[in-house]
Amino acid sequence: MTSVRFAGISKTFAEVEALRPTNLDIPSGEFLTLLGPSGSGKTTLLNICAGYLTPTAGRLVVGDRDITNLPARTRNMGMVFQNYALFPHMSVFGNVSYGLKVRRVSRPEIERRVNNALAMVQLEGFANRAIAQLSGGQQQRVALARAMVIEPDILLMDEPLGALDRALRKDVQLQIRRLHLANPRTTIYVTHDQEEALVMSDRIAVMRAGTIVQAGSGRDLYERPVDAFVACFLGESNLISGRVASVGGGKAVLNAEGLDVSITGRAAPGLAANAPAFALIRPEAVRLIKGGIPASVIERVYLGEITAVRLRLPNSQELWCRRFAAEVPDIEKHEIGWDETAVSILPDINPGKRSVLPC
Amino acid sequence: MMRVGTALLLAPALLVLGISFLLPLGRLLVLSLSSPAGAIAPYATLLGDDIYRKVFWNTSLFAVVVTAITLVIGWPTAFALTRLRGSARALLFAAILAPLWISVLVRTFSWMLLLETNGPINRALLGIGAIRAPIALLFNNAAVIIGMVHVLLPYAVLPMYAALVRIDPAFLKASEGLGASWPTTLRQVLLPLSAQGIATAATFVFLLSFGFFITPALLGGASNITLSMLIDHFVSERLDWALAGAASLVLLGATLAFVAIAGRFVRVARLIEVR
Amino acid sequence: MAGRVVLSAFSALVGAFLLLPILAVVPAAFNGSSFIRLPPDNWSVRWWGAFFADQTWRRSLVTSLQVATLAAALSVVLGTAAALGIERLGGWVRQLALALFVGPVIVPVIVLAVALYSLARSVGLVGTTTMLAIAHTMLALPYVALNVGVSLAALDPRLRLAATGLGASPWHAFRTVTLPLIMPGVIGGAVFAFVTSFDEVVLSVFLAGPQAKTLPVRIWEEIRVEYTPIVAVAATIMIALAVAAVAASRVIQRRDA
Repeated sequence: MTSVRFAGISKTFAEVEALRPTNLDIPSGEFLTLLGPSGSGKTTLLNICAGYLTPTAGRLVVGDRDITNLPARTRNMGMVFQNYALFPHMSVFGNVSYGLKVRRVSRPEIERRVNNALAMVQLEGFANRAIAQLSGGQQQRVALARAMVIEPDILLMDEPLGALDRALRKDVQLQIRRLHLANPRTTIYVTHDQEEALVMSDRIAVMRAGTIVQAGSGRDLYERPVDAFVACFLGESNLISGRVASVGGGKAVLNAEGLDVSITGRAAPGLAANAPAFALIRPEAVRLIKGGIPASVIERVYLGEITAVRLRLPNSQELWCRRFAAEVPDIEKHEIGWDETAVSILPDINPGKRSVLPC
Repeated sequence: MMRVGTALLLAPALLVLGISFLLPLGRLLVLSLSSPAGAIAPYATLLGDDIYRKVFWNTSLFAVVVTAITLVIGWPTAFALTRLRGSARALLFAAILAPLWISVLVRTFSWMLLLETNGPINRALLGIGAIRAPIALLFNNAAVIIGMVHVLLPYAVLPMYAALVRIDPAFLKASEGLGASWPTTLRQVLLPLSAQGIATAATFVFLLSFGFFITPALLGGASNITLSMLIDHFVSERLDWALAGAASLVLLGATLAFVAIAGRFVRVARLIEVR
Repeated sequence: MAGRVVLSAFSALVGAFLLLPILAVVPAAFNGSSFIRLPPDNWSVRWWGAFFADQTWRRSLVTSLQVATLAAALSVVLGTAAALGIERLGGWVRQLALALFVGPVIVPVIVLAVALYSLARSVGLVGTTTMLAIAHTMLALPYVALNVGVSLAALDPRLRLAATGLGASPWHAFRTVTLPLIMPGVIGGAVFAFVTSFDEVVLSVFLAGPQAKTLPVRIWEEIRVEYTPIVAVAATIMIALAVAAVAASRVIQRRDA
């Protein structure tokens, strides 16, 4: 089992800085997801780890070896590609055994390990099938088996579930999670799907424009985001804009324009008095309270057991409220409130630069 | 590391091309400038002498005529390829592609057999009484042109087909739907849209016919000498290397000039794809 | 539709124009008398016997096959390597390399022949099968390189990454992943190079010698003077080879699809 350390890793293509100097420590056996929109640098970081790209600067240490300049084929990492990259002219067996053949494993041993790997991804008996005969989900599992059968130090996955349909995707997500729990292996997983990240990861690193904005467990990121970008990327968010009235003791108070009541919440780092900021209130934290802030209903969405209601505050800012259907009477106006502990005050890094909120 | 590997991969091919292509051509250039009568003497002779100028004119004329004919026959053929279906289309394709695999020598020889005085064409004409005595179908301009058109027609059809096949059939439907008659659709829609293909075909055929050797040499008569035949004459009969070199470089120069001009309208790289 | 009839009739005419003259050569090879007669006076295979009995004709056929095999092998190996190399190049170096490879296609064959002949003469290499093979390789190389280049471009680049990620060396990855997948393009190139060499006339005429004369050169010599049906036999053999080559390349294409 091996840990991974990125120390000051950066990558510039022509004049584009795809990855700013990045530091990330991944302990042995951790499933870490790089989460971010396209262009955030997550795939670049993954490819540098795999050895397909050389970093412009920085060091990459796996275990206790500096592998920054080692070629890909010596790194013993298993990679699952976005479109699987299965060898079309080989059977399932040929694909899965490829890495073992290269390592000159004996024939009987290859057969044993390949059959084990196929059993692990629930493809027993598929060894002699042609790749073209397999469905997308099956191909994806063959790619996984191929990467895992070589017992890699690190497992790398580049948005492997993108081509699958929704139901299958959820299924495979859970399978990968179970496989990981049964046999923990340091894994770096790249995706832009936040739900996927939450289901599968021990830790998530949210990336944007070439940097890691915040890294932590799903709970950390969800409950204590450092800025509006992370808040919006993970889960639904309500952002109320305003100015910081005061900061101290881990808490901050926000004055929202046009709102009589000020909003108190947990202070994210980097807040300054009187600076523009957002109050983050998750929709499920908004409650109907007698004597609370008056709000009028703009839209009501039935989501089965949950009802989502879009409300307009007295200062014209909007808020989504998500509660169990039974709790929300179908009326035009509500009085709302929220629990202070469920609120975060986040810095607004681009004040006045947009007409719409970040999410 | 990448650089060394790339260089090693390219080296053998570059070596062969270097010694069989670049080196000989360079040497020929030097030879053409080394006449005892002076560096530009052979060039002056070529461009000044009436006989040689006529050869140049002949060659150009052949090339232009052959290009024109192959375009006129070739375009409708290319069009037919896009319209025909099933076995008819397959047969026409075979008829166009198969000759490309057969040596130009054999293809020219076949015309020699057909056009000779005792050949089937003459005998057929005699048989039906159209002529009294066999006519000389061979060793004249017409024979050369027929032979060259026969050999070069596929090279004209293929680029034009490639262009036509890329035209969205929706354009034709739109034109018809708007009430245009066939000739109008042809003129206003099909021809302009396949212009690139026509230009490529014309370039290809002109280039090839300008440098043609075998066909004019076998089918032409004493008065139909092309530039390539002249070069052969300088080498094989006159043993005048300076003149041969100069004539070769004139031919090469004209070819390159043409490619350069055509290159503004046509992607030269396309030519190699046709094969 | 009247248009369709006209189109079909026209196509038939053009098809006939292209194919029939070539096919006309074949019956001429079976003529019994000493002159070429189309259609033949009487049918006989005596000229086929004469062809294989004549040492110079036999030798020219063998030489053609030898040179073509050598040229095909060289073109394929060098052309495939070149395609792999060019794929890695970029910018103006790539353009330069491509321009060099396109050269033998654009320069008129007669110029190539005279230039190469002059050089070969000065080093005493005229009339060797090796020189012929090299000259033919020069002609076929660009086409093979381009063909293989197209096959390479169609490959998913991630396949090679997957192979190296699994630990394969560049050569191993090429041998087990890239080569099998571009094989149809490579074989197509080999067939093409073989036929190009076998059919080649101009370069061969200039570079030939008494010991090294290909079949086309022999035919060329004969028909400039006076010819008997034996020439038609030689021409028919060339046509037969071309047909075999087209059939072979069709089979390859079908395997690819």
